[in-house]
Amino acid sequence: MSQLLNSVADWGVNVSIAMTALRTNLMRSILTTLGVMIGVFSVILAVAVGNGAKVSVTQQIATLGSNMAIVVPEPDNENGPPRPRERGRLTERDAKAIERQVPGINAVAPQIRNSVQVSTAGRSVTTLAVGATPAYGIVSNVTASEGRFLSDTDVGSAARVAVIGETVANRIFQDGGAVGQTIRINRVPFSVVGILEAKGSNLGNDNDDQVIVPISTLRQRLLTTPAQGPDDVQLIFVGFDDEEALLVGQKEIKNLLRARYRVAKGSVNPFTVRTTTEIAEATGTVTQIFQGLLVAIASISLLVGGIGIMNIMLVSVTERTREIGLRMALGAKRRDIRNQFLVEAAVLCVIGGAMGLTLALLAAFAVERAANFPAPIGWDTALMSIAFSAVIGLVFGGYPAIRASRLSPIEALRSE
Amino acid sequence: MTPPLLSTSELVKDYVIGGETVHAVNNVSLSIARGEFVAIMGASGSGKSTFMNMIGCLDVPTSGTLLLDGIDTKLLSSDELAEIRNRKIGFVFQQFNLLARTSALDNVAVPLIYAGMGHAERRAKAKAKLEALGLGERLENSPAKLSGGQQQRVAIARALVTDPLMLLADEPTGALDTQTSLDIMSIFQGLNDDGITMVVVTHEPDIAEYAARRIIFRDGKVIEDEAVKSRRRAVAQ
Repeated sequence: MSQLLNSVADWGVNVSIAMTALRTNLMRSILTTLGVMIGVFSVILAVAVGNGAKVSVTQQIATLGSNMAIVVPEPDNENGPPRPRERGRLTERDAKAIERQVPGINAVAPQIRNSVQVSTAGRSVTTLAVGATPAYGIVSNVTASEGRFLSDTDVGSAARVAVIGETVANRIFQDGGAVGQTIRINRVPFSVVGILEAKGSNLGNDNDDQVIVPISTLRQRLLTTPAQGPDDVQLIFVGFDDEEALLVGQKEIKNLLRARYRVAKGSVNPFTVRTTTEIAEATGTVTQIFQGLLVAIASISLLVGGIGIMNIMLVSVTERTREIGLRMALGAKRRDIRNQFLVEAAVLCVIGGAMGLTLALLAAFAVERAANFPAPIGWDTALMSIAFSAVIGLVFGGYPAIRASRLSPIEALRSE
Repeated sequence: MTPPLLSTSELVKDYVIGGETVHAVNNVSLSIARGEFVAIMGASGSGKSTFMNMIGCLDVPTSGTLLLDGIDTKLLSSDELAEIRNRKIGFVFQQFNLLARTSALDNVAVPLIYAGMGHAERRAKAKAKLEALGLGERLENSPAKLSGGQQQRVAIARALVTDPLMLLADEPTGALDTQTSLDIMSIFQGLNDDGITMVVVTHEPDIAEYAARRIIFRDGKVIEDEAVKSRRRAVAQ
């Protein structure tokens, strides 16, 4: 026990020797610390931004709706990107067939999307028009916070009604009271029947920057590029009762559509069926890679910081050769000299690490405020970064320290 | 009979400079008994400093034997040599070699760190040595705030703090004026009276007269080794 206390005290002695030495060359110490600080700062921030992306993806998937399959008219390349030239087809009749024939479904929501110009007298914004059916509200948990959502009658009669997102509402009706007003979408007058419940934004994608209109109305009045057929859709959301039904249902939808389009055995499906789980996994992998890349790049600056430490420690050892000789004459063993310089390097790094961490916390806070992007820094990240910078100190301070400890006492003492 | 504190036989130290071998110390055999006060003299390049570095375990001989307190230093590792320097030898240098920006007390305590002593004990011992050398009022002063004589006394306190058997002083008065030099020699004589073996390397003949035995080096060999005939007592002011 007392031995342990003594060795702790010895490290304390080394820390105080290190502090004296670092104070002696204050400017140099600060500049060296700066290198580590920037390195640690960028690594932590990279980790934080990556974590933020993961959180955003999870939220994005959650706003999409769980236990859902998404069918798109793009050839299924398994995991590869879709080949846009080989466009497939998907129609409202397919959606109806799925609803009729696949078990465990709670709603099927076909969709067409188009970029549109929304205007009132004097104000105009570009936004996304989603042509949907009332089922969209069920599969994606979309409801109206004011007014009402689309009804079957709206779709049946191709009514010129719109449920608008909060962002759009705020931009074109700055005084509020949007419900009941008339807006022009691509010059066609629509009456606003509801405001969508706000969902916020993820990954820079504002979920409230959209207007929802009946799918039939969008097809007849707002489509800028002509559709292939009279009831083509771009997307079909299929909501399932539970995860089990989803897994079975995904296969059933594929089989059903293969039959409907008479896809020969062995050829590629002209459509793709993905579940939200698969999408979450795929985007998860992408964000993982993205984070890894960011951290790798940030690590380079930490490496440069470490090399700075090594450089300065080599200078320090050279400058203090005489002191090293003196300490050896007074009885310092090799390990005493080595530890002295190791502690000096570690102190530099830990100070730099702490400063980098502080700066990263501030930056993460600023990013969260300014860009509305979460950048969480957990305790584990904080502790790890401090420990990591100490390790950098030991690794890059190691060579100079060992070199110092190998000096011959008399040659060190004689040096000028 | 107790063995001598230090004995060398056929001690050799060679340096290779520009492809030529220089015998800095050439076959020196002598011994120094406990409690002696020895002055080692010689011109620069005579080998006196090299000899002192070897008996101080700062440098290793090329060949020959060096027994220190009965231990054959040839058999020791660098850590064991460090331990001998720490426990048995105290060094005093011409340029004092104090750590800058470090208080007198902390300077004196440095050897005790390497002896593995705890903080409080280190401070108490260092304080006692400084007080014994009349520096009780200067404990917290850094070297820059001390005169040359005071700095050398701090250095002596540091050399004594581990209670060594022998003090090795390399030109201890070389950077000091005459009166301060006398003060330092008076301290050395007092320490020697208390039983510490003193070895002083100097090129000043009058400083050597405060020693009891004088060894003169030339070209790496001992050319004279005899008792000082009219030894002087230094009186401190």
